[in-house]
Amino acid sequence: MRSFLNAVVFTLFVVGFFAYVCMYVTGLSGGGDGGAVTGVSPEAGEKIFWGEGQCHTCHSIGTSGSATRGPNQEGLVSRAEEKAKERGLSSGLEYMVEAIVDPDKFVAEGYDKIMPKVYDPPIMLGREKILAVLSFLQTLGGEPDIDAVMKFKDKIPEASKKKIIPWVPPIEVEPKEGELVFFDETRDVSCSKCHVLSGKGSKVGPELTGIGAVQTPQYLIESILKPSEVIVKGFETMYLITTDGMAYNGIIQSQSEEEVVLLVDEEGEIVEYVFYPDEIEQMQKQDISMMPGNFSELLTTKEFYGVISFLLSQK
Amino acid sequence: MNTIKLFVSSTPKNLHLRIAFTLFLVIFFIALASSTSMAQENAETAEVAETVETEETVETAEPEAPAEPYEVVDYRNFFGLDGRLAIWIIAQLHLMFAAFVLGVPIFAVIVEIIGAKSGDIRFDNLAREFTKLLSAAFATTASLGGLMAFALYGLYPGFMRYMTDVFHPFMFIYAICFFGEAFCLYGYYYSWDLLAKKGKWFHITLGIMLNLFGTALMLLANSWATFMMAPGGINMETGTVQSLYHAFYNFLWMPLNIHRLIANVAFGGFVVGAYAAVKFMGARSHEEKAHYDWMGYIGNFVGLGALIPLPFAGYYLGREIYSASPVMGNIMMGGAFSWTFIIQAILIGMLFIGGNYYLWNGMSRIKGAERYTPYIKYINIIIIFCFAVWLTPHNLPLSGEERALIGEQYHPFSKFFGVMAAKNAVVNLLILSTFFSFLLYRRANKGETMPFSSHGKSAKVALIITAGLTILYLAWYALGLRGIELEENIRQYLSPLITCLVIQIIAIVITILLTFANRGKFAQAFLFGVTTITSVMYMAYYGFVVMEKANLVLRYLSVAQVSIVISCLIVNTIIDIFLFKNAKEVGGIQWGKIPLRAQYALLLLCVAIVTLMGLMGFIRSGLRMNWHIYGFMQDTSAGAFTPSIAYMGWTVSLIVIIFLALLAFVFWLAGLGEKKKQHS
Repeated sequence: MRSFLNAVVFTLFVVGFFAYVCMYVTGLSGGGDGGAVTGVSPEAGEKIFWGEGQCHTCHSIGTSGSATRGPNQEGLVSRAEEKAKERGLSSGLEYMVEAIVDPDKFVAEGYDKIMPKVYDPPIMLGREKILAVLSFLQTLGGEPDIDAVMKFKDKIPEASKKKIIPWVPPIEVEPKEGELVFFDETRDVSCSKCHVLSGKGSKVGPELTGIGAVQTPQYLIESILKPSEVIVKGFETMYLITTDGMAYNGIIQSQSEEEVVLLVDEEGEIVEYVFYPDEIEQMQKQDISMMPGNFSELLTTKEFYGVISFLLSQK
Repeated sequence: MNTIKLFVSSTPKNLHLRIAFTLFLVIFFIALASSTSMAQENAETAEVAETVETEETVETAEPEAPAEPYEVVDYRNFFGLDGRLAIWIIAQLHLMFAAFVLGVPIFAVIVEIIGAKSGDIRFDNLAREFTKLLSAAFATTASLGGLMAFALYGLYPGFMRYMTDVFHPFMFIYAICFFGEAFCLYGYYYSWDLLAKKGKWFHITLGIMLNLFGTALMLLANSWATFMMAPGGINMETGTVQSLYHAFYNFLWMPLNIHRLIANVAFGGFVVGAYAAVKFMGARSHEEKAHYDWMGYIGNFVGLGALIPLPFAGYYLGREIYSASPVMGNIMMGGAFSWTFIIQAILIGMLFIGGNYYLWNGMSRIKGAERYTPYIKYINIIIIFCFAVWLTPHNLPLSGEERALIGEQYHPFSKFFGVMAAKNAVVNLLILSTFFSFLLYRRANKGETMPFSSHGKSAKVALIITAGLTILYLAWYALGLRGIELEENIRQYLSPLITCLVIQIIAIVITILLTFANRGKFAQAFLFGVTTITSVMYMAYYGFVVMEKANLVLRYLSVAQVSIVISCLIVNTIIDIFLFKNAKEVGGIQWGKIPLRAQYALLLLCVAIVTLMGLMGFIRSGLRMNWHIYGFMQDTSAGAFTPSIAYMGWTVSLIVIIFLALLAFVFWLAGLGEKKKQHS
């Protein structure tokens, strides 16, 4: 019996070590920094390039990224101009559009035909997102020109959504009920206390106007249930210690050489604190979101899926 | 265990009955309570519907409204638990038991054949003990399989409807094969004594049939899993089945079959090794210790033997995943799953270090092994170095200050270890070192060898055939490389690979000639040396060259590298067998006289491979991301997101603990009959 117990203890130790390594690696690799930057802009395109567009898994840019399966995109604009001339296209941008819409038409020397059509499954980037990526690619050795990018709008196919079964909540819910929950400020914790939607609410967290057009149900579910998994850039929690030893956790509303304005959640109320540089001992970004992580307890299943349905209807 | 015995023997019979009856009542009431609560939920729903209906009737005073239409549901939860998590746990447990049930009979039959050929009863007893464990685990595997099928049909009815539509003819074949496996297994186990003397070969045939049915079951189930990853034979827009053959024999089917077949043997070997280790630790008599020491050694031998080619099979599977879908391949190695391969490297490192550590400890029970102990520290250094390189990620997560200090995103030195060129080289070196370790173990108690010429013509023929086939393979691959159509400026980078393959062919020929000239040991060392220089040293350097100038060539380089290493392992094994045949023994092996710490190494190997299987199950299945059938049917359930590595870690840990606990219980049950026999 003793030898068996020794074996059990040893086994648990090894399994515990494995779990510890997994937790450590999660801390090391991080959960990404999300991205709610939307529209056709280089910033949104950059986000997509390094995120859901999965471009970075084949292309690196200069010393950013490590992929070698596709060409390094540093200085892409001048190369695209040369290729456009060779192929009789009107501009480098048209060449880039062709490379995305029909990647097999021309394959860069030394590389294989592995680039997928990003508007098809499984990536399925929407037209707007592809245009955003194009505007980002314009910045790689050139200046972005959104108007020029938008002229190619009709050449870019829409994502093959017809193949996708639309998401349905597991229980029957009404988006209107979700809207009531979203704006119900009588609750201890309310969405509109921190998020602006169609001009209503407070701007502590990211604005959610039009969120249904750019985010998936899975993303929204995860953002509510596990808010620290993906924190939108610019909304990370800041840990601030003053020279007299007081510690504050909050979101920076504004920061200048003269002052730092921090929004701090105090028992459900958002309080604004102003700090002058000589009062600040230390400031550090945190990996934990300020958004409460216990919505699974605060909302009923019906309310939760109601909010998700309501957000998805915001297109 | 003593406490249990004492309790069992000293408790009155009535008390046993009372305990049994109480247990029955507890289970019965739990079942009743859960069904009542479910019924209550249904009743409440019905009541609400009825109230609404009544209200409507009162308001409108119209004839009774028609009954609600039947609603088709695509997803359900498992009593409040996310369906995906429930399926994950159940499927992984089933796969682990299945791996054991499919892996063990392969070597059980081989051990039995060795016993029948050599007339050594110990081998026969060992094969029988393996089968005893097998028969106990078989019923659990089947039960878990049934539970998995129910869970899938219950929780994912929409998805399973489609899978059934596509694969229903194969489901019947699966059932037939299952009957075949059950009959062969129980026939094989229960007819052991009956066929011991006159029908031994018939008994062995039953064992082979058991393996064939088991493998057929695995092949059938694999096709469903790989269809989900790389669907074939269907219209990707409508889902119409166009070719059942291509749906079954889809792109990833064969790579997964090969990988799982080898992995199952390694899994079975290490689990059996751990069983022997626990038995050894609890053994009282020297005979018992000697028996379980030997069993542990065989388990480790089988596990390590299968582990050596496993990275190659894994590489093949990974490469084919890339070919099937570059997007999926990129998610695997460069995207969301890239960090899980660092964890995989840790577990594989544990397996190689643990396996070698056990071998070195095992040498302490062999007289004469002390001649080779000085080499162990060097092998150890090489293995730890390889492990460290394998573990190094390419992208070190650096802070802004660290990046500013270094001046670039990568560490100036360690960045070279994070890429495939370095990793391929160290994996091959790791395998060569482990093989070398095993060769040392084999010759630990051997002294003067017989000249090769004394083994007669059969030895020469065996060596020529083995070397000939190996050379043929290398030549075939080299010719294939010559024929690859690539742009000229890329194609030129293939030439060094062809040269390396030709060098290896020449080295094999020289090795054979040296062996024929009774210089076998030198021949082995020569082949080891040439292989290490070409496949590890030169190809590691050349890997960096092609990564920079002709990335396309890297995939051919990896295959050439692996082929050279495998050719060395095969030829050196055959030489070793004949070289030490009838060699003078320096001292016998003292079975049972192995340090206790070696048993912990066996336990480590078992836990590591079970955990590894859990991790790889997560990766293989998770690669589909939010797709049931990649690119065709999306998973639109609420739980369709890739969990974090920490979440995966906890879930896999839970699965490992449940599996090992169930296994321990099942083995304990299997041992009860044995105890009864001993008692009587």
